[in-house]
Amino acid sequence: MGYIDIVKNEYIKEILHKGIRDDGRKFMQYRSIQASVGTIPNAEGSAEVDIGNTKVLAGIKIDVDTPMPDKPEEGNLIVSAELLPLASPDYDIGPPSPAAIELARVVDRGIRAANILDTQSLFIEKDKVWSVFIDIYVLNYDGNLFDASTLSAVAALLHTRQPKYEEEKVIREGTLPKLKTNGMVTSCTFGKINGNILLDPDGSEESIMDTRLTIANDENNNIKAMQKGLHGTFSIKEVESMIDTTFEKSKDLRSVLSSLEN
Amino acid sequence: MFKLEGNKPQLIIDGKRTDGRGFDELRPIKIEANILKNANGSAYIEWGNNKILAAVYGPKEALPKHTADPTMAIIKSRYTMAPFSSLEEHGRSGPNRRATEISKVTSEVFENIIMREMFPGTEIDIFIEVLQSDGGTRAAGITVASVALAAAGIPMYDLPYAVSAGKIGDQMVLDLNKIEDNYSDADIPMAISPRNGDILLLQMDGSITKEDFSTAYSMVKKAGATISKIQKDALKAPYEKIIEKYR
Amino acid sequence: MNRIIVPGEVIAEKEIRMPYTYTEGGKTYSTVLGIYEAEHSSIIPLEGLWSPNRDDDVVGIVEEDKGSVYIVDLNSPYTGVIISKFSQTELAPGDVIYAKVKEFDEKKEVILMHPRKLYGGKIINVKPSKVPRIIGNKNTMLNELIQGSKSNIIVGMNGMLWVKGGDVALATEAILKIQEEAHTQGLTDRIKKMFEKTGV
Repeated sequence: MGYIDIVKNEYIKEILHKGIRDDGRKFMQYRSIQASVGTIPNAEGSAEVDIGNTKVLAGIKIDVDTPMPDKPEEGNLIVSAELLPLASPDYDIGPPSPAAIELARVVDRGIRAANILDTQSLFIEKDKVWSVFIDIYVLNYDGNLFDASTLSAVAALLHTRQPKYEEEKVIREGTLPKLKTNGMVTSCTFGKINGNILLDPDGSEESIMDTRLTIANDENNNIKAMQKGLHGTFSIKEVESMIDTTFEKSKDLRSVLSSLEN
Repeated sequence: MFKLEGNKPQLIIDGKRTDGRGFDELRPIKIEANILKNANGSAYIEWGNNKILAAVYGPKEALPKHTADPTMAIIKSRYTMAPFSSLEEHGRSGPNRRATEISKVTSEVFENIIMREMFPGTEIDIFIEVLQSDGGTRAAGITVASVALAAAGIPMYDLPYAVSAGKIGDQMVLDLNKIEDNYSDADIPMAISPRNGDILLLQMDGSITKEDFSTAYSMVKKAGATISKIQKDALKAPYEKIIEKYR
Repeated sequence: MNRIIVPGEVIAEKEIRMPYTYTEGGKTYSTVLGIYEAEHSSIIPLEGLWSPNRDDDVVGIVEEDKGSVYIVDLNSPYTGVIISKFSQTELAPGDVIYAKVKEFDEKKEVILMHPRKLYGGKIINVKPSKVPRIIGNKNTMLNELIQGSKSNIIVGMNGMLWVKGGDVALATEAILKIQEEAHTQGLTDRIKKMFEKTGV
């Protein structure tokens, strides 16, 4: 982080003190969310989500694979994330950074815990199952990759076609059934700056926040995943309040998912 | 899906190609500039079924310092394909040998075209991300990267475009899609400097005669007029939209 | 008649000297995406980079104190350098300053002089090519901005602007609007109207 950010940081802290965020939002308000599915027809499923200027593309590929030894009759879910160097001057080329790995694992956890994917329905025959690969491609960074990534991964999953396996070949063309999914999961991410808790921190806010919390929940308000990040702390009261906000705001996120058509 | 002749699908039936195009016909191309907020310049292209993003960062300080050239900017292109970009299986992440070679020849195009001496000690990064592929991605990548560079305000001698020509049986054709690329008798990607027709990138794979090559070059140049106009319109569009709004 | 031009476009069928062009084979070509003003025979770049000139006012942030020099971040490919013994103010990393360009040397460092510290406030980065429009002819646009928002505004030719006090959000909105519409007619009037409506 260069000194340019430090100057912006001081300014942001100053106005938060007055109850204002730099882009005029309320503390518990999302930026505008745009989502679309089927953007990459070659992939079995795809979705692009924009939260403010954060832009994330999720692509899904389904291949025939061998099952994990401890789950011989279940298919596999593999979630990966790439912070593409074109998304930010701070992203470098090279293998996935700890941040990219954390992002993929948190999104994975929400989807897996909520059983969005019916892994038993991915069984083909002995030693053959379907592997569902979700690749999260961050195209432009402006904060809150967690919510944008979960939203795009789930949006893509809900509109994915299931290839057929016939005569030892994978059939990806023609009329294909939809991949079997259950329900929805969404996440809400909060950042803390000087004691102020903000929903959906943007890039500038993220560069100065000292603590972060992501909470994933399903339609029944069961909490499916939680991830605290950064070096600060939260009190139990703060966490309970963020859980309440998450339950409330997740209704809007699920509306975004419901309104999507291929 | 395709009529098979032995093991190869028939690529030309009754004088038409698999997607109905004529021999010197380009696939439809759309370009949009300034699509990413953080990059200094960016553009997105849809070329047939190809979907490719290009983004430029720089000129900025060349790092690590020992790679810097005290007399000019170094050009670092990186071409990569998303793991979900093909019609087939999930691809591996990270650059492979093919992507490394494409990155190199792409850098060489822009090393010629960018006025590098104006920015000594710096580097200019060009990222080309193939989100969906259907043959001719290196050509589409160079074409959209030119637009991203101009949108970044980087001074250049020209606005290069690229397209491939190929040979199917005895017939020279323009702009091979994936199926044609896989089964053609030759694949010739070319990048051209429009102001004088000079060749900035040339690769060939297969078997052609000297006359075939001349034919290929003519087809590429003819298509170039169309491609250049699309690049230029993409650069002008955001400005003309605002001029219209306040006319 | 003005027209938008791109790199490699022919400006003249003879060799003439003009910024943002080069000559080759008896013709003059544009090097940038810009507007060609036939009347003034000049090109205004629509995007990109700052070319430092002596006496340019710049805004920057001190990055390092190396003892004999200060290194200044100018948000550009060129690093700013202040020779410590010629600076009347003591500076520290993190300080926002405005200064003048003394010279731009071959090592592509911008030597700065007369640094002055700025306290508090917000920095807005704009494209350097838009800065002349933000200042306006004889400072007309800048005065509009200052009066309309009641903010202190210092404009760096390097594209860094410092804004403090008054209605910073309104000033920011106006500056970004100027950046987006810099190439159109009637912009000063639209900015005036914008302040009249929202008024501070």
